[in-house]
Amino acid sequence: MSDPVVTLYTIIVLSLVVNIGISLYGVFTRPSLVKKFICLTIFSDTLNSFAIAIGFRRVSDTYPSIAVLSSVPEESSELATFSETAVDPVPQALVLTAIVIGLAVYMFLVGLIVMYYRHYKTTHVRVVEGGSVG
Amino acid sequence: MEVVPISIAAVAALLSIIATFLAVRSRDMLSAVVFSAVQSTAYALIYYVLMAPDIVLVYIPVSVGILPAVTVLLIKKTERYES
Amino acid sequence: MNLREAVIAVSIALMVVLLAYTIGAGGLGPIAPSRLRDLAVSYLANTYNPWNITKSALSLEAVTAIVWDYRGLDTFFETSVLFVSIVGVALVFRGYREKLGLSGRGLSEIVKTSTRVLTPLILIAGISIAIHGHLTPGGGFQGGSFIAVLLVLMSVVFSLDFVIEKGITSSRLLTLRSIGLVGVLTTSVALLVLGLALGTHAYIFQNIAREGSPLSMPSWLLDRPTGGTLIFFNLFEALAVAAGLSLAFIVLSLRESEVEEALGKGEWYE
Repeated sequence: MSDPVVTLYTIIVLSLVVNIGISLYGVFTRPSLVKKFICLTIFSDTLNSFAIAIGFRRVSDTYPSIAVLSSVPEESSELATFSETAVDPVPQALVLTAIVIGLAVYMFLVGLIVMYYRHYKTTHVRVVEGGSVG
Repeated sequence: MEVVPISIAAVAALLSIIATFLAVRSRDMLSAVVFSAVQSTAYALIYYVLMAPDIVLVYIPVSVGILPAVTVLLIKKTERYES
Repeated sequence: MNLREAVIAVSIALMVVLLAYTIGAGGLGPIAPSRLRDLAVSYLANTYNPWNITKSALSLEAVTAIVWDYRGLDTFFETSVLFVSIVGVALVFRGYREKLGLSGRGLSEIVKTSTRVLTPLILIAGISIAIHGHLTPGGGFQGGSFIAVLLVLMSVVFSLDFVIEKGITSSRLLTLRSIGLVGVLTTSVALLVLGLALGTHAYIFQNIAREGSPLSMPSWLLDRPTGGTLIFFNLFEALAVAAGLSLAFIVLSLRESEVEEALGKGEWYE
């Protein structure tokens, strides 16, 4: 039964790649600053999903378990079973940091967009001399 | 029986493609924010199936709660329709 | 679409096709791998290991141990980056003062009654997720985000005046944020200070005794493991994140007329 699981997992990863393409198109071509901001958040979330999908693991006849011990272990053979069936915890720790730093950058971008609007009275990207939209 | 969770995640991934496309294409900024929140919910389901519960507990308050609220305030202070 | 958009679309489509081919042919590793890397196996085997105590963090949860103990310096500087960015947002709206009587009266009675039932539940869920960070999936950021969303909900359903009259103003939230950050700093150097006072070796971010430095934080409370420094880190981080994100929302929800009166018209044009 290895084929259906591998096929479905490949569908998940390929749809993430298509999301990268659509959100990058939105960042490059839409002329409004708020639209660029929204597409940038989608792009960053998709990259974090890539990191978590790399950390998944396939155990042969059961579903893998989360990276948390369910009870205090009494002997050291339980630790060996745990590290045979748990998913990778390192990408999850890195994605946690990445989400928080992304949030910090988004707050700063919101402040910058408000300042841009106060100065030029528009959120269009192309502004000609004299402050009108061109 | 391990096929059932991963097939749910595959359906959620295909739904997120539709939501992203609609978010990029819409001219009304409020619709774009709502479609982005739908895409974040689909991603949270994918994270749950891929066995990352810590990430689900960070992602849902941040990306369906705080970021759409801040973006709606930003739209209120600037323009609503793309020119 | 003009020529520029067509060229961008074609090149992005080419990039997507090439990336999909690379992943399908095994460029990021085997699709759905079945063996982990050695680093991950060593983190999983040592996260609660009383038989090899110099490498262990004595917490039942591997992700929290990696975030706050094995890679604690990354998390400390990430908290500082979030603090700096929130100070930047507060700087864009400098000189603000909360003025009562400008916001509406909230939503209808049905919504207010159901929110009155939900508010203590969300608060308790957030605090529980923050405190049990070393036993179940959860931790400081997760609990803090819950409480920040609770404050956003309250200021939308009841009005912003209600939240300000209860005593949650921007200056108090900034003070709470700074207290959280100072608490994280204090916990990280606690064992270092104790080691310098007693004359033994100690490290920054030390949790359990290592070879050559025999001090360690208490890791059992009555009959539950507490994970040493992890419980203090989670508490202070939850306080810091809740205060910081609520501050960003409240500062951004001020009206433009209040901001103009505070800054003086014409000051931001030079």
